[in-house]
Amino acid sequence: MKKPFLPAIAAVILAVSTPAAAAEKMTVLLDWFVNPDHGPLYVAQERGYFRDAGLEVSFKAPADPNDPPKLVAAGKADLAVSYQPQLHVQVDRGLPLVRVATLVATPLNSLVVLRDSGIRTIAGLKGKTVGFSIGGFEDALLRAMLEKNGLRLSDIKLVNVNFSLSPALVSGKVDAVIGAFRNFELNQLDILKRPGLAFYVEEEGVPAYDELIMVANSKDVSGPHMRKFVGAIERGVQYLVNHPDESWNLFIKGRKDLDDELNRRAWRDTIPRFALRPGALDRNRYATFAGFLKQQGLIKTVLPLDKYAVELN
Amino acid sequence: MAARAPATISVPSVHVSGAGLAFDGFPLFDDLSIDLAAGEWTILLGPSGVGKTSLLRLIAGLEGASAGTVRCDDGLPVSERVAYMAQQDLLLPWLSLQDNVLLGARLRGSIDSRSRARARELLTRVGLGDRIDALPAACSGGMRQRAAVARTLFEDRPIVLMDEPFSALDAITRLQLQDIAAELLGDRTVLLITHDPFEALRLGHTVRVMTGRPAQIGAPLAPPGTPPRPATTPELIALHATLLARLAAAAETGADAP
Amino acid sequence: MMLNRYTRPLVILAGLLAAWQAVVVLTGVPPFILPPPGDVAAALRNRTGVIFDNAWVTLIEIVAGFLIGTAVGMTSALTMAAFRPARQWLMPVMVVSQAIPVFALAPVLTLWLGYGMESKIAMAVLIIYFPVTAAFHDGLRQTETGWIDMARVMNASRRATLRHIRIPAALPSLGSGLRVAAAVAPIGAVVGEWVGSSAGLGYLMLHANARVQIDLMFAALFVLAIIACAFYFAIDAVARRMTPWQPSPQPDEDTK
Repeated sequence: MKKPFLPAIAAVILAVSTPAAAAEKMTVLLDWFVNPDHGPLYVAQERGYFRDAGLEVSFKAPADPNDPPKLVAAGKADLAVSYQPQLHVQVDRGLPLVRVATLVATPLNSLVVLRDSGIRTIAGLKGKTVGFSIGGFEDALLRAMLEKNGLRLSDIKLVNVNFSLSPALVSGKVDAVIGAFRNFELNQLDILKRPGLAFYVEEEGVPAYDELIMVANSKDVSGPHMRKFVGAIERGVQYLVNHPDESWNLFIKGRKDLDDELNRRAWRDTIPRFALRPGALDRNRYATFAGFLKQQGLIKTVLPLDKYAVELN
Repeated sequence: MAARAPATISVPSVHVSGAGLAFDGFPLFDDLSIDLAAGEWTILLGPSGVGKTSLLRLIAGLEGASAGTVRCDDGLPVSERVAYMAQQDLLLPWLSLQDNVLLGARLRGSIDSRSRARARELLTRVGLGDRIDALPAACSGGMRQRAAVARTLFEDRPIVLMDEPFSALDAITRLQLQDIAAELLGDRTVLLITHDPFEALRLGHTVRVMTGRPAQIGAPLAPPGTPPRPATTPELIALHATLLARLAAAAETGADAP
Repeated sequence: MMLNRYTRPLVILAGLLAAWQAVVVLTGVPPFILPPPGDVAAALRNRTGVIFDNAWVTLIEIVAGFLIGTAVGMTSALTMAAFRPARQWLMPVMVVSQAIPVFALAPVLTLWLGYGMESKIAMAVLIIYFPVTAAFHDGLRQTETGWIDMARVMNASRRATLRHIRIPAALPSLGSGLRVAAAVAPIGAVVGEWVGSSAGLGYLMLHANARVQIDLMFAALFVLAIIACAFYFAIDAVARRMTPWQPSPQPDEDTK
């Protein structure tokens, strides 16, 4: 009767030696190429916070920033880094997306002119050319900013320069650019020795919003892995805020191409803007911004907030 | 069988002396000489690759020799006095037959109503009067080669060089074209290259065989009577056998040549 | 019903639309990735003005780019055929123009020529320069040697031989080059618009995509496809008219 025992013993040994639960795989689509805005994600990765939470997270950078939310809405990825203004537009068009965390809790978007252009106020842009990269709501931002300064959208000429904002500005092809991230393009202009003067959207008539958020498919939101993900990001931000220099080293670890002057300066400027409480949701902020977009004609209806934004931890 | 047309233009004899030409390092011919009698048809026969076409191209000025001269007995240059016909009709497919006949005038920038009338007349003479505006694609091989004869006539040159002009045609059409060419170009100094010994005997005042490597030209053969000779002439049959024997012998020695 | 040159494309179009609808229904793909044909048709109806205005811009870019590129290409080919040294200098330029992907040059052209139509036209010119030049030049080089010999014996000048023999003989090859150019010119125009513009179907597609108006994006794409097809068939007709002596490529098999 020894023979049947052998497979039984083998089965028991196998059961015992298997880990308690295999790590849950999650795909996160970034909004753009890896840059300092993604700091907390990479710190959490390098410090093993995802692993501690039983998650195996992989990051992918897309070619087209418009794709990640659509792919998440189609069920092809778990999470996407996206922008609050676009989330409003996307859910208005019926995409089943839900905001689960905030990465950058301030706007980064700004209207930038060159310091040597002589333009000192937004009013000075009358009759000038403004370059933008298509995000879908730049004309809404501009309209609000111009109207606060006594101008109308028809007083300026809008030109799509795609993502080539700094070169367009420096080459003089446009007088100003909108969609420049204050932690990025401003540093880029400094490095090119053509410093810029920025007008911040939230200071010029646009309600404040979260520039970078994490969105998930509404079907996945209630899963425990989402909650754990957000918890891991919170640990990442904590470490980053407490150990900014070590965090930089973790950010560039194994990614030597990220170690350049622009990223170093951008890192320094982004640290004060990371959401210290990534999971927390400012309900008032989202409701106000939705109202702003509706008034600008970018969305048709203001949906109930719970449909597209939740607090998980 | 028409009588030879009287010479309407002054026609020189052509003398090639001491010509040398190498091909890929091998001498094709070396110190080669041949005379084309004025106003007469000289036929050149020989195996493929022996250098007949190269010799013709040399006379035409299409190729340069490493040695030797090509001269006319009246001292005038050979170039600008040559008309050329090849095995292909060389008709330009986008031009009507009339425009093809006029090609030389068009290239030289000298088309006028007189030349147009002349082209039409020549096409009629070769039997294509009803196809003056037809494109070559709409004509048979025989018709196209007849148009080529008309074009050669239009050039009105005293020296005519023809490289196997009728070998792509069927037997009956070939005989017809031979008669037309002999009638209309009978008064020119003509060098005709052919593979066909019978054609040589029909058309030539003088028949030469070119053989060997480096090539040599054999003694001239002058068939009796005036070309175009009827195909049924008994002497032709005998001479045909002679020529065939000469060509066969050349082929054999050719096999032994380096 | 007899299928002929005019009804066959319509049947093909109907078939494609049916297949599209089938894909949407069978795979359950969400409308923000692939909208059903009905949504796209609605967008075409509701946004006709916007689509038409932008389509006009792109059409001008394509046509102007094609005409300029063809002119420059034909001139280059003729120069290379007429002057031997020109060939050594122009040939590498030709090859480089083909090898460099258009994406790499687009931002540079946009910075030089601005965000208006000029940079898009320049892109289209760049993209078609090689096909046109190469095709025409090949045709010019490969003239039947018998014709060239005949022309020499007829004492034609090089210029006369080029004009009366080599160029007409090269027209069928040029036609092939023109057909390829007609097919790719739209690519140049649209890529140029993606890189920087404020008008055109490429720009409209980007804009609609960012606003998650995917039905409008596909409507613009559909119109772009129609324009590209129509342009190709127009140039094909021109190329065939240019070579009337060539036999018709497809004998009509329907007459049975």
